[in-house]
Amino acid sequence: MKNKMLISLLVMAGSSLVSSCSDFLDYQPQGTLSSESIKSADNADAVVTAAYAALGNGEMIGPTASMWVYGSVRSDDAYKGGGGVADVQDVNLYEQYNLTQPQQGDGWMGPYTWEQFYRIISRANVALSSINNLTDAQFPLKKVRTAELRFLRGHAHFMLKMLFKYVPYVDETLTSEQILTTSNRTLTNDQLWDKIATDFQFAFDNLPPKQTQVGRANKFSAAAYLAKLRLYQAYEQDDNHKVTTINRDKLQQVVTLTSAVISSGNYSLFPDFAQNFIPEFDNGVESVFAVQYSINDGTTLGRLQFETGLNYPHGAPQYGCCGFHQPSQNLANAFGTDANGLPKFDTFNTGSIEFKTATVDTRVDHSIGIDGHPYKYNPALPFSNSWIRDAGTYGFFQSMKEQQLATSSFYKKSGPFIGTAKNIDIIRYADVLLMRAEAFIELGQQAQALPLINQIRARAAASTGRVKKADGTNPSNYLVKPYEAASWTQTYARKALQFERRLEFALESPRFFDLVRWGIAEPTLNSYLTVEKTRRPFLSGARFTAGRDEYLPIPQREITFTKGLYKQNPGY
Amino acid sequence: MKNSLFALLALLLTMSVAVAQRVVTGTVVDAKNNESLVGANIVIPGTTTGTVADVNGKFTLTLPASATAIQVSFIGYLAQTVPVGNASNVTVSLVAGGELAEVVVLGYTTSRKQDLTGAVAIVDIATVNKTSTGNPMQALQGRVPGLYIEKTGTPSGDASRILIRGANTLGNTDPLYIIDGVPTKVSQVFQSLNPSTIQSIQVLKDASSASIYGSRASNGVIIVTTKNGANTDGKLNVQFNTSITAQSEKSQRYKLLNAADRGRALWQASVNDGVDPADGFGQIYNFDWNRDFRNPRLNNVTVRPFVGGDQNVPVGDTDWQSVMYQTGVITNNDLSISGGTKNSSLLINVGHLNNTGMLRYTGYNRLTGRINGLTSKFDGRFKLGVNLQLVTSKEVPTATDLGGSPTPSLAISLAPTIPVYDKNGEFAGPIGAGYSDRNNPLYMQYLNRWDKIDRNIVFGNIFTEIEPIRGLIFRSSLGLNSTSYYNKNIEQSFQNGFIARPLNSLTINTSRFMSLTWTNTLRYNFDLGAHRFNVLAGVESIRDNQNDIISYRENFAVQTEDFFVLSAASGNASSNGSSTGSRLLSQFARVDYGFGDRYLASVTLRRDGSSRFGPENRYGFFPAAAIGWRIDREGFMQNVKAISTLKLRAGVGRIGNQDIGDLARFGLFEPRYGLLASQVPNGHQPFFDQFAQVGTAYDINGAKTGTLPSGFVQTQGANDALKWETTDELNVGLDFAFLNGSLAGSFDYFTRQTSGILIKPPVASAVGEGQLRFINGATKTNKGFELNLSYFGKPVGNFTYSVSTNFARFRDKVTVLPEEVRSAYAGNGVTTIIGRSQLDLFGYVADGIFQSQEEVNNAPRQPGAGPGRIRYKDLNGDNKIDPLDQEFFGTSLPGLEYGINVNLGFKNFDFSLFGSGIAGRTGFDNYIFVNNFIRGRENVGPGVFDAWTPQNTTSTIPALTLADVNNETRSSTYFNVNTSYFKIRNIQLGYTLPKDVIGKVGLSALRLYGMVENVFWLKSKSFSGPDPERVDISSIPVPRSFTFGLNVSF
Repeated sequence: MKNKMLISLLVMAGSSLVSSCSDFLDYQPQGTLSSESIKSADNADAVVTAAYAALGNGEMIGPTASMWVYGSVRSDDAYKGGGGVADVQDVNLYEQYNLTQPQQGDGWMGPYTWEQFYRIISRANVALSSINNLTDAQFPLKKVRTAELRFLRGHAHFMLKMLFKYVPYVDETLTSEQILTTSNRTLTNDQLWDKIATDFQFAFDNLPPKQTQVGRANKFSAAAYLAKLRLYQAYEQDDNHKVTTINRDKLQQVVTLTSAVISSGNYSLFPDFAQNFIPEFDNGVESVFAVQYSINDGTTLGRLQFETGLNYPHGAPQYGCCGFHQPSQNLANAFGTDANGLPKFDTFNTGSIEFKTATVDTRVDHSIGIDGHPYKYNPALPFSNSWIRDAGTYGFFQSMKEQQLATSSFYKKSGPFIGTAKNIDIIRYADVLLMRAEAFIELGQQAQALPLINQIRARAAASTGRVKKADGTNPSNYLVKPYEAASWTQTYARKALQFERRLEFALESPRFFDLVRWGIAEPTLNSYLTVEKTRRPFLSGARFTAGRDEYLPIPQREITFTKGLYKQNPGY
Repeated sequence: MKNSLFALLALLLTMSVAVAQRVVTGTVVDAKNNESLVGANIVIPGTTTGTVADVNGKFTLTLPASATAIQVSFIGYLAQTVPVGNASNVTVSLVAGGELAEVVVLGYTTSRKQDLTGAVAIVDIATVNKTSTGNPMQALQGRVPGLYIEKTGTPSGDASRILIRGANTLGNTDPLYIIDGVPTKVSQVFQSLNPSTIQSIQVLKDASSASIYGSRASNGVIIVTTKNGANTDGKLNVQFNTSITAQSEKSQRYKLLNAADRGRALWQASVNDGVDPADGFGQIYNFDWNRDFRNPRLNNVTVRPFVGGDQNVPVGDTDWQSVMYQTGVITNNDLSISGGTKNSSLLINVGHLNNTGMLRYTGYNRLTGRINGLTSKFDGRFKLGVNLQLVTSKEVPTATDLGGSPTPSLAISLAPTIPVYDKNGEFAGPIGAGYSDRNNPLYMQYLNRWDKIDRNIVFGNIFTEIEPIRGLIFRSSLGLNSTSYYNKNIEQSFQNGFIARPLNSLTINTSRFMSLTWTNTLRYNFDLGAHRFNVLAGVESIRDNQNDIISYRENFAVQTEDFFVLSAASGNASSNGSSTGSRLLSQFARVDYGFGDRYLASVTLRRDGSSRFGPENRYGFFPAAAIGWRIDREGFMQNVKAISTLKLRAGVGRIGNQDIGDLARFGLFEPRYGLLASQVPNGHQPFFDQFAQVGTAYDINGAKTGTLPSGFVQTQGANDALKWETTDELNVGLDFAFLNGSLAGSFDYFTRQTSGILIKPPVASAVGEGQLRFINGATKTNKGFELNLSYFGKPVGNFTYSVSTNFARFRDKVTVLPEEVRSAYAGNGVTTIIGRSQLDLFGYVADGIFQSQEEVNNAPRQPGAGPGRIRYKDLNGDNKIDPLDQEFFGTSLPGLEYGINVNLGFKNFDFSLFGSGIAGRTGFDNYIFVNNFIRGRENVGPGVFDAWTPQNTTSTIPALTLADVNNETRSSTYFNVNTSYFKIRNIQLGYTLPKDVIGKVGLSALRLYGMVENVFWLKSKSFSGPDPERVDISSIPVPRSFTFGLNVSF
């Protein structure tokens, strides 16, 4: 009653002053859209583009395209680098297998990477639910775009699975509430592989062999990715990540799928290994699927890749930051070859390789910055030990494949860090060949693997054109020969395959995941550490614990947000 | 109540009795010396009609025929009720030493102080001038119980944290400012008011006094009234104030190592770690030692002569703090011209403040103007007025280096071996191994010397008051708050040692905030016998709009200040902008009731509709009620001579906080063509977010350049039920005065609960991007008290004195917080923020230092433990040290704030001393971090030489280590010390020249004064840094300053 009277009083005083209350209070946000307008056919292609864009939205402290922290630093290929162990300390925890310590830096790396991959998945799912509402008549590209989105979703789930093993699988049919009740253990390890595989299979079945817009997935990128998945799946793991059996059926699928890719004729190896690492050749014949980056495109910085933005030679005035991702002595040694031009499987790591005298694989000068050798194919400005930031801790090598010349038109320094518009290849054709070789070897058909591996080696041997010094000579003494059929047993072939993958993809980061897939992470890494800690005392506390360190811990905050629904990985 | 409201309504509609009136003029003087009392309050008893004595102590007041007396009051004097009879001219002599009884400006209305029922702090306006920075907010620090202010030494003098009665929300805690009736949340409007133009400041603290401001009131309300020209019978008054101040931060500096000593410390730390010091630092130092890690012995450390071996850069021994700071000089001038006639008055004020900045190449310059005018007709029954504040300021701010580190912290951390300049006189920087990727801070500040932040404020209102019938006043006010912000950020290209910015750029960030407030009120004051009513009703509409534009260009051919305009660039360009706004539509009413001057009551109602609230909760309702009992007016008190005032107050009310963001309720999809995480909310880490893409554009064509296809992404979930945060409060207060008003004070106790606090709970990432939404989810409680006591001494001959003190305490805690949000606050799964303030400290409990390997072996398993390492307590007894072994151990807010102010006068001299402090606060001592721990790439303090060694086992400083495998800089009680302090903040001595001397040269007053600020302070021994008030080494410390000034009027 009291209110009514007062309000009537107020109305008398103020009714003439304010004409329409509800209109006045109806403020609409500027520059935004509602969820209804997103679902129109006009906007369908735009939401697909936004899902692709998420591929390039990884960040320096939560990478999704470059696995240098998770795959390279965690392996025997590289050290963290930078200015001592405390510089971006979080990465040091990965390098030293110390992820059970209280998490530093509030979720840097693993937790952010987890979040970023689910952003890719949610953008794909938002686009899928928008497109699902449209008819083929409304949106003629419906089938193709659906297949592309499922490819993107498959990619993000695959990467999550590779890093964390057990992750919740989310598709567009789930509501937010349902997602929150989906555990990371709803599916078994094998079921999760199969679930992810259905997305790639759909993509393979529905995508055209080629797309005019080269950034999109096509039929054969889906085939290659499905082959990759089946290869990982073939090495069956128990609950403690121990490889128990190798599934021949899955291996056979790898053979079939890679056949499809090879026979498509879409792809081949670049004549020069270097072309994989120079932006001018992006989307070339060897790139099966890549994350696209661009520059001078009207965005704030350019859609540049900053995930490796710390990884340039610190002391070089043209770069000036930050000296991360330094190759290990062990990796440098691995490039040494014997008198037959073959890798030294068991003896490569004795002492430290002397580049002035040793015979080496050509790929070393594409992968590692070495004092006096041209850096990144520029003979005028060779790498110098003075470019190294903290040689006392991390030695004198610098990674090189992911770096670009400061003079490149695809290079940009912003603040202290460096971004480039060089694509990151998720799968390149050399990987297709070596996956196929691996499947053949494990199937006992190693003879069929030999020409595949030798095809890789022949290209490596021929790739000397861009690495030459200013005087036209080679910086190193190259000797790379094919394997001979004579000694090509399954055991030998397996060693050769494993070594070839290491050399071919050195510092491109599949190394750690290869070791886990093969089931040899613990012996390989602990014997690496035993020797390496005598060279680099900062590693003296590092030790790989089998049954735990093969996978990252499920981020604690995700377990908290789901009120304990997610189950932590063993050992953490 | 019901009946009286009906009666009121009837009166409003029907009453139209014309009342005769007359004019009384008079003079108010000090009874002792007949000096005129400038600013004394004159009111008609039983009404809020009144005026203020002018600079000559004269006043003119229009009285209704019914009035038989006027009441005259002045700070520090006993109020008097003077019968006027038929006299048209009176002289009132006030006796010093009385209670305060002036008119208090409340929300939309006024009240006599004696009739107040809520918790309202009235600022002693004389104190507002006592600041050299020209910022009234700084002057208020420690003066007002319940108003907590933290400040820094930044040239603009902006306060860093302002809390009224503590932190009642988890979000924005800024109070609401009402300046001449116009509301604003922009604290710069208040902070740039010229102190000499402020007539009064009131702080509304409790719900019953603040609820008239409804959904904007729960952080407290500061009401400011500016001066008007007053009546002077056509004569012009001129007042001129000038001062010059020297500022220095020398007393705040950290003790740090010199170049050679740092080498010794690095050697010790390296050998402790079993690492050859030459590996890490061999390019900076020569270490001459026995190379025996078991029994290391250092013969000598010498600094290598050149940085990184570069012959152009001879090594330095640089004290970066003395390089970065200089004496800052502030000049402050302001001129007021005021005057008026019976019907009109005008005040014009112009002020200019210039601060050269202590941090080199920074500075601040401010020009203020004010025009307050009032004219009236029909015997004052129609009034038209304007209050207008104009401010333009320019600041050259603190810069950061290429890696984002602010120069004040680099002045502490940068290695002393880097010289300021190289041989060629160019700025030197780090070269070679062993240095951090940090720049020479002087160079950074020099490169940014053309950066500027321009702020322009137009603030004020035009208003009219119409009094159709006597006592019924209709007021309409149109208020404007226009704040524009222009930030020009020039990033010059440079090479500084191995750190370079190859490409220069210019960013122009402009932002325009425009708020229009239209307020219409009706006031009616009337008596019905012994029943006195003050009634207010009103409506108000507020329209806020904010527009931001950020433009960016790269590659300028020439690096001169004039060349850095956007169109002069030849490189990459990008431009972004945003637009947001809100609407608020309110109705409100207030009734004050008094019976026989003994019983007081007030009821306030406000209804707020806000565009920020979801459709399900569009309108909020905020009621409040309070009662007061003037015990001293009761018959049984009349013989108690010792007690001159005793009033009990109690109030309850509900207030709100609508600072929940303009768009918090909406579900949003946005095109984000090429934005970075730093350009949108909810980033991960502010620095790295500048390089993190969140865009929707993608090079799907593989063209690598050119315009890209782009899409949309969800950025926020909708919540149609979103509403304001609600604070319910109970306040009980007692006002008292003893000894004929010589000892006066008040006490308030409050308890409040804020519910529906806005939070944005994180959800599992699997739910996807842009799914976070705001909900009203948390609850906080807050309890506390405020006390102030003043003693106005009886003059002893020519000597006068007064002392006032204030005390305040509050304790807030979070009582409800959804489980999934808790991880965003301190705590672990077991111990949570519930029952704690969000400003409480959380971490491990340090328990001494491990003395031997045996102790380590017998202790719970602690990763990184070893002799000489900090031992942490196993709080949960599970025999291992992990995140569950953390607890709350302190709070960064004080348990008690207090202040003391002493005023002395002797003949023409005046002296004031003001000190304030905080007690019961513990917190992080930044200097422990600098002094007790070594870092390979930063300079540290001499404490590292007292670190634990097998020989020096009594030390509390852990053994030096560069590896820090024990993670000793984690949050722990090791850094938690007593951060209480007491500061003498202000001492001022003034001399007013005798009137007969200055009268000869045509002046009416001339006063000279000297002032020292931040004079000295007491702190706990356990706090090792120079000043507990400096909580952030990234900002410029609060300086000590010396001011000389002059006040002239004629």
